[in-house]
Amino acid sequence: MHETNWGLLIVVYLFLGGLSAGLFFASGLANYLKVDDKPAYARVARMGALLAPWPVAIGSGLLILDLGNWYRFYKLFMHFRWESPMSIGSWLLTAFTVIAFLYLYSWLKEDERTWIFSKIPASWKLIHRLNVDISSWRETLGMIGFPFSIGVGIYTGVLLGAVSSRPFWNTNLVAQMFLFSALSSGAAALLLAMVLDKKNPIEKHETKFLVTLDVVFISLELFIILPYLIHGELSTQAVKQALDLILGGPFTFIFWGPFLFLGLLVPLAIEVYELFPAIFKGREFHGSRNLALTAASLVLIGGFLLRYIFVYAGQMSSFHSKMGLLQ
Amino acid sequence: MAMKKKRYALVIDSRKCLNCKACVVACKAENKVPVGHFRNRINEERKGEYPTLSINFEPEQCHHCDEPSCVRVCPTGASWQRKDGIVLVNYDECIGCRYCMIACPYDARYFNEEEGVVDKCTFCVQRVDKGEVPACVETCPSKVRVFGDLEDPKSRIRELLATRRYKVKEPQTGNGPQLYYLL
Repeated sequence: MHETNWGLLIVVYLFLGGLSAGLFFASGLANYLKVDDKPAYARVARMGALLAPWPVAIGSGLLILDLGNWYRFYKLFMHFRWESPMSIGSWLLTAFTVIAFLYLYSWLKEDERTWIFSKIPASWKLIHRLNVDISSWRETLGMIGFPFSIGVGIYTGVLLGAVSSRPFWNTNLVAQMFLFSALSSGAAALLLAMVLDKKNPIEKHETKFLVTLDVVFISLELFIILPYLIHGELSTQAVKQALDLILGGPFTFIFWGPFLFLGLLVPLAIEVYELFPAIFKGREFHGSRNLALTAASLVLIGGFLLRYIFVYAGQMSSFHSKMGLLQ
Repeated sequence: MAMKKKRYALVIDSRKCLNCKACVVACKAENKVPVGHFRNRINEERKGEYPTLSINFEPEQCHHCDEPSCVRVCPTGASWQRKDGIVLVNYDECIGCRYCMIACPYDARYFNEEEGVVDKCTFCVQRVDKGEVPACVETCPSKVRVFGDLEDPKSRIRELLATRRYKVKEPQTGNGPQLYYLL
């Protein structure tokens, strides 16, 4: 009877939802930080804005495909059930996606807007009325979007954490773990995109900003994973048994090797190595392109693996005594 | 006159269970459960090695909990609970997200791939509403299961729960399960 009900699609969706949240957060922050009344990292903010809505839009599509009756997804929006994390989440995700697309629109340049609307038949006058400049809304949309992006980041964790029957998930640390993992993968994805964009080569102060952001988020994530393990080991029998899945069970290798070491510690080490001389020795920031690429890719892989481990291991954990059919 | 309050529950005397699985078959026939899925099951547990050996059989199905976590997490309200305690799925509202299956501590639900909806034991509402007992209860040759209304002071299950010692499974999940296992 004990089977896996949520599979890879859910893992991908949780990852993409978190990624969007992180991209929006990083972009909003980059736009908010000012030097001489001008955004200090305007190009970072623009890149983040252009990327942010897409992962969550694709992820929501995958989520709908995963339903038993995908065409009934509209029923999610016929109800609001505050006790159901998924109900709250669907509304939150929709609001966030709308805000993220508006934010993207506010960052489009004049010629980009003209190009998009040139593709729409001229007879569709109603749509052409939308061809307006809302670049003055950037800051407002960013501010409105902040709580929503954090909400989406937390939601992906709460969806699992609020299930009281799965001791692997049901701790008060999973929400924060997923949030910081989401924010760090957002910063990493932004760094990756900026480094790969050869037309507009990334500048050192921009790399430094994103690397700093990532170091902060990875450190916070680490400081949540450690208490998650320690507290779980000091908890009740069911929680301890659930943790055995990663401390001597089917997920031990993938948790400690690919996720914790390669996905968190190695990129953290690379980024700290990059930042160290600039912060403590007063020297210039390295800004190595290859190291940035490596660290950012590893962070993204780590973020994906965290969700993979949690979705699968969580479903295997249970309070139910293991009674089954005799062999 | 107001209807009297009801609370259906099941008492299980698992020491009487022979593991004949007549209940499983009766349920499948009564509720047309698709091939490969079951609404009830008999857990088997072996202790020790020959010659000091014992085998326990323990029938299990939906516990029709007082605080059902499946109902709480359902995003559309498709999982719902009747006033008499029976937990049901409204198949027209179910979108097939399977969140309830994950939230159930007892693994009592299954996913009907053909219909794309989640399904489970209904205590045979179609029979109970006519004053009959669920198919699994009726068919059991050794009378393991006793079905009844906890609010009715004269019912057999009230008598059993008052005079016998019993346990419920995993009460620590806070679901308030309503399958009572006699000890």
